[in-house]
Amino acid sequence: MDCRVLSIQSHVVRGYVGNKSATFPLQVLGFEVDSINSVQFSNHTGYEHWKGQVLTADELHVLYEGIKLNKVSQYDYVLTGYTRDVSFLEMVVNILQELKIINPSLVYVCDPVLGDNGAMYVPEDLLPVYRDKVVPVADIITPNQFEAELLTGKKISTEKDAIEAIDMLLAMGPHTVVITSSELLSPLGDQYLVALGSQTTVGLDGTKKKQQIRMDIPKVDAVFVGTGDLFAAMLLAWTHHHPNDLKTACEKTVSVMQHVIKRTISYAQDMAGPGIRPSPAQLELRLVQSKVDIEEPSIVMEATVL
Amino acid sequence: MDCRVLSIQSHVVRGYVGNKSATFPLQVLGFEVDSINSVMSTGKARCLLQMSFTSFMRASNSTKSASMTTYLQVLELMSKRTPLLLLTGYTRDVSFLEMVVNILQELKIINPSLVYVCDPVLGDNGAMYVPEDLLPVYRDKVVPVADIITPNQFEAELLTGKKISTEKDAIEAIDMLLAMGPHTVVITSSELLSPLGDQYLVALGSQTTVGLDGTKKKQQIRMDIPKVDAVFVGTGDLFAAMLLAWTHHHPNDLKTACEKTVSVMQHVIKRTISYAQDMAGPGIRPSPAQLELRLVQSKVDIEEPSIVMEATVL
Repeated sequence: MDCRVLSIQSHVVRGYVGNKSATFPLQVLGFEVDSINSVQFSNHTGYEHWKGQVLTADELHVLYEGIKLNKVSQYDYVLTGYTRDVSFLEMVVNILQELKIINPSLVYVCDPVLGDNGAMYVPEDLLPVYRDKVVPVADIITPNQFEAELLTGKKISTEKDAIEAIDMLLAMGPHTVVITSSELLSPLGDQYLVALGSQTTVGLDGTKKKQQIRMDIPKVDAVFVGTGDLFAAMLLAWTHHHPNDLKTACEKTVSVMQHVIKRTISYAQDMAGPGIRPSPAQLELRLVQSKVDIEEPSIVMEATVL
Repeated sequence: MDCRVLSIQSHVVRGYVGNKSATFPLQVLGFEVDSINSVMSTGKARCLLQMSFTSFMRASNSTKSASMTTYLQVLELMSKRTPLLLLTGYTRDVSFLEMVVNILQELKIINPSLVYVCDPVLGDNGAMYVPEDLLPVYRDKVVPVADIITPNQFEAELLTGKKISTEKDAIEAIDMLLAMGPHTVVITSSELLSPLGDQYLVALGSQTTVGLDGTKKKQQIRMDIPKVDAVFVGTGDLFAAMLLAWTHHHPNDLKTACEKTVSVMQHVIKRTISYAQDMAGPGIRPSPAQLELRLVQSKVDIEEPSIVMEATVL
């Protein structure tokens, strides 16, 4: 297949977020993954303690220069996620623009991580950078409901609002937008969360088509970290294999998530013991143990075409 | 299986050396891999642009850093029954190496059955390619606390002070290394003449085990490995990682562990050289970029290596 991904995300020594969450699954699916670690931390920030070091925008630039000098800067995909620094994000945009000149068919998969549940958990000055500089050069984005609201300025209370917000995001640049989770009420009841996606494709005759889907995903009573990073990586993989079929790409992506989450919560509960809430350490995604599900996800979730 | 490996090696953005070479194969074999990246660079040894992250592990020369303390605290929560392994390779920094030894001692308190697999990278073909002051640190501090080591012939000579010209010399050098601490020593490559001729290089290994009745046994093996006319980088790191995996599965059977390890190497190398030659074109020597190990593409061989190499028991 020889598809090369440049992934610029965090590295944790222990556990699965950022590059740790994205790299193994993509490699298992046959992608070459070049990874720039934006930070190196002992573990993710959901633990009681976390310590480590951060890569600056200048250092990112230096690493990229090394790649350019060796003339190995041909990438098929760029993947980015959680970032806290404006100048780092701007450097990512500069790098991406150069890489797109080298390979005009490069696909940029961007998780525009800003916050959740109504609160930002990155500095506020990242919002205009994502909205005005990053999203316009992205091809596939995976905001949650709150991030979609921030990026469009549009409050989402109904499915109709969400579709309109997605349309606004599509108009900003990306051809594929997936709202990965929302507060919308699912037709299946309150034990489900709603995800929505939209993809525009251009047919051979030049006509534009749009596929819109909804997925009703069972909620799990636990806080997982790294699932958004895994989602973006798997969406990259499955839209690669199904470029004009968002329904199938999302069904596979969400199915993989379900398998990993089920295995993780089951293990975590065994480790914690009956009636005790598992710790963040126990809730680390069971990625290595889910290799077979990652390679060939059995579909446990169907998307509804809207 | 739930076996955890702490691997302290380099990270390269592109390609396969250090942690990049070790992590994916170990994960594919079901090991949880915690990786501390000692450096992050965009290429291999000769690349000018690299960031040192040694301060991840140490705050000052002898004190471990806050990040290391935090990592160890999380590790302490693990069950002592969960197998824990430490893997180290190429490093250029004396105090970094000394910090690894300190960390190892703390890890052994957390889990007394920890296994330390150490590739004592010093040099090759008669020349050192790390600072000379690493030699006494490896010899006097690191090797004595290692369980499995994978020196090449030159490194075995440096660590023992013994010149190796014959297989008998090599076995004696291995015995000296076993006496220093490790229970398993594999000389991964040598200049010795193979019985199969000069298209083969000789690797030798020795493992001491203690039987249930307390008797000590030693298994010595030789492997005759086909040479390939190319320079690969990262193969030593892959070898050490795979030897870790296969000795874990075959703890008292160095013959099988080495046959699987060397077979994996052969599959990966064959696939790599074939791809590199396709990319370079007929008659043209492939570039370093083209010779990056085809690890991702070798996943099935890594998971279940078909044995293409038999070890001779000496």
